Amino acid sequence: MLSYIIRNLLQRCVLLFIVSVLAHSIVHLAPGEPSEVDPSNPRMQPEDIAKIRTAFHLDDPIHLQYFYWMRDLFSGELKSFKDSQPVLPKIWERFLNSLPLFICATLIVWTLAFPTGIQAAIRRGSFYDRGSTFIAYALISIPGFFLSYIMILWVVELFGVPVIGMRTFGMEDAHPLYQIMDRIWHLVIPSLMSALAGIAILSRYVRSQMLEVIGQDYVRTARAKGLDQDTVIYHHALRNALLPFVTLFGFLLPGLIGGSVIFETIFAWPGLGRLGYEAIMARDFPIILTINFIVAALTLIGTFLSDILYAVVDPRIRLE
Amino acid sequence: MKTKWFLIIIPILLILVLLQSYFWVPTYEMQSKGNPERLAKFISASIADAKILNPILNADSASSQITGQVFDSLLDHDEELNLRGRLATHWNITEIAYLTVNSAMQFPDGVFITGLELKKRIEQLINQGILPQVKKIEILAPKQQIKLVHLADDSPIKVKINIPERLAIHLETVNQNFFNLLEPIIGKNYENKANIEQWVESEQVLSLEQLAKLIPIFEHNPIISFYLRQGVLFHDGHEFDADDVKFTYESIMEVKNLSPRSSDFEPIKSIDIIDNYTVQVTYKRLFSPAINAWGIGILPEHLLNTATLKQEMKERQLSESAQDNFGMRDSRFNRHPIGTGAFRFVEWKGDEFIHLSRNENYWDGAPYYKEYYYRIIPDSVTQEVEFLTGAVDNYSPEPHQVVRYKKDDNYQSFSSLSFAYSYIGYNHRRPLFADKRVRQALSLAINIDQIIKYILYGEGKRITGPYPQNTQWYNSEIKPVPYNPAKAKQILNELGWKKNKHGWLEKDGKEFEFNLITNNGNLQRKAIMTIAQNSWHKLGIKCNTQVFEWAVFLTDFVNTGQFDAVVLGWSMGIDPDLFQIWHSSQSGHQQLNFIAYNNPLVDDLIVKIREEYDIERQQQLTHQLHHILADDYPYTFLYSPLSNIVLDKKIVVFNQNGSYSPITPTKTGNLFFHFNRWKKLEFTPDF
Repeated sequence: MLSYIIRNLLQRCVLLFIVSVLAHSIVHLAPGEPSEVDPSNPRMQPEDIAKIRTAFHLDDPIHLQYFYWMRDLFSGELKSFKDSQPVLPKIWERFLNSLPLFICATLIVWTLAFPTGIQAAIRRGSFYDRGSTFIAYALISIPGFFLSYIMILWVVELFGVPVIGMRTFGMEDAHPLYQIMDRIWHLVIPSLMSALAGIAILSRYVRSQMLEVIGQDYVRTARAKGLDQDTVIYHHALRNALLPFVTLFGFLLPGLIGGSVIFETIFAWPGLGRLGYEAIMARDFPIILTINFIVAALTLIGTFLSDILYAVVDPRIRLE
Repeated sequence: MKTKWFLIIIPILLILVLLQSYFWVPTYEMQSKGNPERLAKFISASIADAKILNPILNADSASSQITGQVFDSLLDHDEELNLRGRLATHWNITEIAYLTVNSAMQFPDGVFITGLELKKRIEQLINQGILPQVKKIEILAPKQQIKLVHLADDSPIKVKINIPERLAIHLETVNQNFFNLLEPIIGKNYENKANIEQWVESEQVLSLEQLAKLIPIFEHNPIISFYLRQGVLFHDGHEFDADDVKFTYESIMEVKNLSPRSSDFEPIKSIDIIDNYTVQVTYKRLFSPAINAWGIGILPEHLLNTATLKQEMKERQLSESAQDNFGMRDSRFNRHPIGTGAFRFVEWKGDEFIHLSRNENYWDGAPYYKEYYYRIIPDSVTQEVEFLTGAVDNYSPEPHQVVRYKKDDNYQSFSSLSFAYSYIGYNHRRPLFADKRVRQALSLAINIDQIIKYILYGEGKRITGPYPQNTQWYNSEIKPVPYNPAKAKQILNELGWKKNKHGWLEKDGKEFEFNLITNNGNLQRKAIMTIAQNSWHKLGIKCNTQVFEWAVFLTDFVNTGQFDAVVLGWSMGIDPDLFQIWHSSQSGHQQLNFIAYNNPLVDDLIVKIREEYDIERQQQLTHQLHHILADDYPYTFLYSPLSNIVLDKKIVVFNQNGSYSPITPTKTGNLFFHFNRWKKLEFTPDF
């Protein structure tokens, strides 16, 4: 077990290095330059641009640029091209903004997906099952941004209350309770919208897992013992159906950082996804690369954790 | 059993908790009830976040909008676009003209030229009344200097120069023709006849151009003296004075700061502080647009000087290498700016909002709005939604939405000409477009009125030349190119373009074919491209169109000059200088005259306009320039778009006597000119 963990961790470190080199090359080889050296200002002279290029190391060979990036990243002195602010505090601040949205959306996904999926599995072939399948596929195939726009327009038209951003502006002097509720309200629609696809996918997953388990011998045995339907389903079947979902927890981790670029942009939510998006648009290499690096690291940690977790919850699996 | 109910009750509870919050959020009508302070807040929205809140370091519009409120400049433009004093109460422009005494030459009457004699003869001219503006004449003794000169291959060499005697002639006004007036004394071609090499000791041969730069025979040094407003305080209570002006200039020129504005200030030779409230700016050469550069916000010297920056470095405990590179760009100031402006900075949350609060001690009277929020909403649909729910106070509708808002009684909507235009530019390196008549025919074939009507929903105005229509530089006597495909056909026929059997125009066995390109992401440009292609197609011209991603578009086509024709737009400043876009010297790699337009007449006028300090003369010259350009069809000038703004109708402008009236834009279309007197009412007024 211990040797497995050490070996696995080492492998993942090598993988992380390869990912960072690849990401660095792709970002630098893609067309386009940081907006700071892209002269949209007609008064800017080539000499000024040359000065900025040197300051950003843009003319150095790519492996040197990689070295500078890594050195600055680990000494904590990596600065954004855009505003010369240190990158890590910037990412941390945005991370805190994304966190409520992420937690709320995840709660909605996991609490809603299980009951709907289980019900669909129990009533297999019924009108409810087919209806929920249809809706689930519809939600998976309709682009989220489209649904979000429709939802925003509908809510604003019908209720006339603001839904964009983290709070309503101009309410700073209202009672604190109102302000808290206002913040919750602003969470509702973006988290619901970003949860929709998640609910659809996860409930399908729950349904198929349940169906598989319900067909097992031990479930038949449980029924033969004369146990009632609820005990059979929720006590015997559900526990075993839950096993594969343990692995999914591991994949939650990178989602924490990657956030949802589209929803944060539509809802003007100042989170991490938007930071990354704006950085890509402005070719702000330090930000793009660092976010990418953290996401890669978290993905590797996440999959590692789910491997371990799986071994812990499922006694049939042993890590060698 | 428990599990079942748990699985059902938890999601229901969660959804209920979330949805009940709706009842606590105010609608548009209710926002000022229980929250009356809302009326004293102005909430604006922007697509992009600010980058750096320092007027000398930012180049993006979001940042400059904020620094425009937090910082004051020495001067700005008033309702008529004339210069108006802000931190400077007034200023005057004089000149020192330097004349190098070339003792190897003779006066027309045969006497050898000396400084003393030259001075005497010029004074005689003054007494005759021929040179009225001269204040005094000084004789400068000869001196030696060592200078670095860059050779053609960019290697620097040291050069010793023996500057001969020079006359410094102080003039009351700037006069680019001053040395021509001296011709009776020094004769014609005084400048060209001089052999400058005799004064320069160099190991290598220098070009004539470099020599002329080392020791100019004639030199104009315009001088602007600014008289500063007294008693103006920065937001931290420190008084503004001449040091701040000089410091702002020095910071811009400091290489480490990488200021994008340094080229605007490059013509400055020196800045001298005469007293606490008088600054004298001396320029290296005639360059009249230079004064507009003083529209830049003035930085507080006491917060950004070397000592303060060092202090900050210590507090932040940076590493050695970071300390070496530490400069103004890294200072915390750029996220907590302090200026003298109408609003003081409070808070900036990245990608969310910037919060400003009014400066109660503002020298020009505190604004009526107490708070100013600048929200960042990166999507125009959501911006509109926020506007409709009252969480944002202004909105810039898309052309197709304008009519809807004009009809709605809850809003007041404004449209004004923007300082920008769209055009189709032809690459003059291509022999195909060398003939002016070809370009004229191409312009005649496009129905621009229809483009405005159908693509811009009427929210645009035709233009005929390179200046913004709402400035005095624009020559409104010039008629726009009419839509006349028949005439276009006739012109092309006369030039020898005949239809071949495939229906395309052909001349000397070559079909009339070229590529029209534009950048991706601009639907209007794409539509214009299609219309142009179709119009030319009807004449028998084969036009292929292509759209490229912006970066590719610039690096592969525009910067290298490898294109036939482009659809693009310019946004313009207020000054009449067109050097970068139209001067033939600016057609190199990455330069803005990428169509390689080359017209000696235009080059000459552009330089003259730059060197003219008299606004009326300048206006005559720009009208002339406009006329020449319109007549030469270098571009097909299309239109200048209208910019639209909708406001809540409750926002009004208060007059000095306490009454209020509806907001009206200035003649030049600046809606926010009287912003400091705006306020929101509790009810909708009936105007």
